[in-house]
Amino acid sequence: MTTLLNIKKVIAEILDIQEDEIDQETYLVRDLGAESIDLLELAVSLNSVFGKKINEADIFLTNLRQYQAVSEKTGEQPVKCLLDAYPFLEKQRVEEILADLDNGPVLKIKDIVRYIDHS
Amino acid sequence: MISDFSGSIALLLGGNCELALETASLMIQSNVFPVLTYRSPKGLQDIRMKLSRYGNAYTVYECDLNRRKTIRTMFNRLDKNFDFLVDFSHGRLESLVASADSDLVNAYVMENIAARAEVIKTASRLMLKKKRGRLVYISSTAAETSNPGQGFYAAAKLASEALYRNTGIELESRGITSRILRPGYIDSGRGRQYLGKSNKRYRKKIERYGVLSCREVAESILDLLTDDTEKNNAGIFEINGKKGLRSIYDHIVKH
Repeated sequence: MTTLLNIKKVIAEILDIQEDEIDQETYLVRDLGAESIDLLELAVSLNSVFGKKINEADIFLTNLRQYQAVSEKTGEQPVKCLLDAYPFLEKQRVEEILADLDNGPVLKIKDIVRYIDHS
Repeated sequence: MISDFSGSIALLLGGNCELALETASLMIQSNVFPVLTYRSPKGLQDIRMKLSRYGNAYTVYECDLNRRKTIRTMFNRLDKNFDFLVDFSHGRLESLVASADSDLVNAYVMENIAARAEVIKTASRLMLKKKRGRLVYISSTAAETSNPGQGFYAAAKLASEALYRNTGIELESRGITSRILRPGYIDSGRGRQYLGKSNKRYRKKIERYGVLSCREVAESILDLLTDDTEKNNAGIFEINGKKGLRSIYDHIVKH
């Protein structure tokens, strides 16, 4: 819970919004309109707040579609491929992401929480 | 010279070159603390000698763009404790494009473009932590002058300018800005070599433009660190010889 609260605080400050506009299910890009510069600043802030090295490609699921393309090419199960790439995500969440891909950027606040807690 | 600086600590990359040392002296006199980088014992010795009278008013770090580990170590030690990055560093490769050794070209590009991108990335991310910072790249009028043998030098300068300009544009909303200075006909380092050439055509140019002293260019660099240049983010300032030496604000050529 502390992780979520800290993440909400950081995002609210960067995007200049109220913390109560953010919850676990909020999409960072789709709902809050975060842009690449915001993600950069978020990574730097999370590094400071949590004292952990942040891999931006991982925490923001940046290469998601590339992994998906690789799995299509190699015939590997996409769920397995994504679980290997993002070990901090649970199987259920990966399935949810795959079903949601056509609707736009899938990253949710809860994914960032999972990354921080897992690393 | 103006003295309303938007910070108090400056990292001088390539800090042992003559122009950087002159700039460091002026910074110390203006209450800006310079952190100078060197890449060899000789470089460290040059810094110590030139700045000997200033005691603890400056500090030094090893940083060699050819050795990535030294970049990481330097920034780990420095963390976010700097307000300015002034980049003087530049490697040498003088060769006709058609006759250049491919391995040397690769190494040159890695050192002068790829490693510089890493420096800019690391420095700007540290500046992001406090949402303030200024990047100044010391380029050269040679960046856009076609001269035989200078193709790689000009290419690296132009590429580096682009990296600095873009960073300023991308991070301006977060308080981080950039400036590029292109001095020409300067009595220092690589410029001095050319000033000494007896080529008639070159002599005429020198007579026409007049030779810039290190001190004059260093003063212009300090001007680029002031709040007064806030509006010229990502601008390229060109000073072509002494004749071109007016207020730095008159010299913006690209913005």
